[in-house]
Amino acid sequence: MIDPAERALSPHERANREFWDREADRYQAEQAVQAAWGVWCLPEEELNVLGDVAGKDVLELGCGAAQWGIALARRGARVVGLDVSERQLEHARAALVAAGLDFPLLCAGAEAVPLPEASFDVVFADWGATAFCDPYAWVPEAARLLRPGGLLAFSGATPLSWLCLDLEADAWDERLHRDLFGLHRLELPDGTVEFALSTGEWIRLFRVNGLEIEDLIELRPAEGATSTFRSERGLAWARQWPLEQIWKVRKR
Amino acid sequence: MTYSEHALKNREVWTGYAAEYAESAKRAWAQEEITWGVWHVPESELRALPALAGKDVVELGCGTAYVSAWLARRGARPVGIDVTPAQLATARALQAEHGLEFPLLEASAEDVPLPDASFDLAVSEYGASIWCDPYLWIPEAARLLRPGGELVFLVNGTLLMLCMQEEEVPPGPELLRPYFGLHRSEWPDEDGIDFHLGYGDWIRLLRANGLEVEDLIEIQAPENAKQHRYPALATPEWARRWPSEEIWRARKRA
Repeated sequence: MIDPAERALSPHERANREFWDREADRYQAEQAVQAAWGVWCLPEEELNVLGDVAGKDVLELGCGAAQWGIALARRGARVVGLDVSERQLEHARAALVAAGLDFPLLCAGAEAVPLPEASFDVVFADWGATAFCDPYAWVPEAARLLRPGGLLAFSGATPLSWLCLDLEADAWDERLHRDLFGLHRLELPDGTVEFALSTGEWIRLFRVNGLEIEDLIELRPAEGATSTFRSERGLAWARQWPLEQIWKVRKR
Repeated sequence: MTYSEHALKNREVWTGYAAEYAESAKRAWAQEEITWGVWHVPESELRALPALAGKDVVELGCGTAYVSAWLARRGARPVGIDVTPAQLATARALQAEHGLEFPLLEASAEDVPLPDASFDLAVSEYGASIWCDPYLWIPEAARLLRPGGELVFLVNGTLLMLCMQEEEVPPGPELLRPYFGLHRSEWPDEDGIDFHLGYGDWIRLLRANGLEVEDLIEIQAPENAKQHRYPALATPEWARRWPSEEIWRARKRA
């Protein structure tokens, strides 16, 4: 029998769920880090993406083991964590117990979220569901979930980093490997499906969903920055060209 | 009114180019259709401009003012601003030839001697948009616009600026310079000084000046595009894959 959560998933969300159910234990043991932006962990205190979250209803799309949710709950936010992987949420439940906190965790994809409209002040993701879901499906969902004046903020790959990624070498170089026109869906060798758009496509998608553009922060790691995800070669690339970006958009 | 050091330098360079550009200006003025950039993509496809009839328009860095001429024929009231008298002389000659008069003003878009809130639309196609410092001309454009007024400008594609060769040869697929720090460019084979920003810097600059970002149109060369006369600005094949030109659209908050 297919459970209701499974039925609501698109084929790529199912593929991504399989990957994350399989990889969650290794990921949480080896790669997951504290609540900070991107693969080089730039602190929220420095970037000030989310602003003051005290007393706000905050939804995280792709919460993993709820590192961000726990940090924001400690700052007074009313957090809901969403993840497509049940195994990731088991890590989140254990982390909540260890932290002495309790907030709702929901097993669902970001393309069809079983929550009412206009119920959040902040919807955010740090390389979460927003990288693994189709923007043409998840952005309208995020806009639906936000209250007027609410903030959508999320980090992910820049279009340029997608163009310059050599998939065989699993590394970035100084060459455009694929076209910008038509950039949308990428099937990766690890079985996951990821999504990327050009800057213009993002802007149009936000605006047709009633979201005003506030900022596009192109992240640049510090010299000598370390990451549990990326090699030194990735760092050298990302010092010259933005590998990650954070969009900040606000519902009218 | 003052001229920045790069405005004076660019005036000198464009004074030298003016005779050559008088030829293409003739063709552009004779053209009925509004088109954008080196690929001549029709406005009817891109829809970058608002309704024009009765609108007060300032063209920033108008050169020979062919864009203003196209807009005037559609009922707009343009004012063309350019730093180079020789380019404005070409524009005046073509105005007389076509019987299409509108004000032309010798000034830099970085310091425009016109009052606040006097235009509904500010437009620039390869004008102030690349030859002026955005940190100077965007605040001026915002000042000149009425609340609700629109700013529409075409620039070289950001990827093209990363891949552009230093000689007059087409770009390849290699990144030749970093993205971080994009701003002022000086080229070994020419004396002009041009300006380009990363996407995030454009967005922050527009917003800091009270302009909402409405669109970024990444221009793709049409399937049947012919090679234009500027090799450094990409071949049709390159520009089918990556945008060699981009149009920003922003609106002053009401």
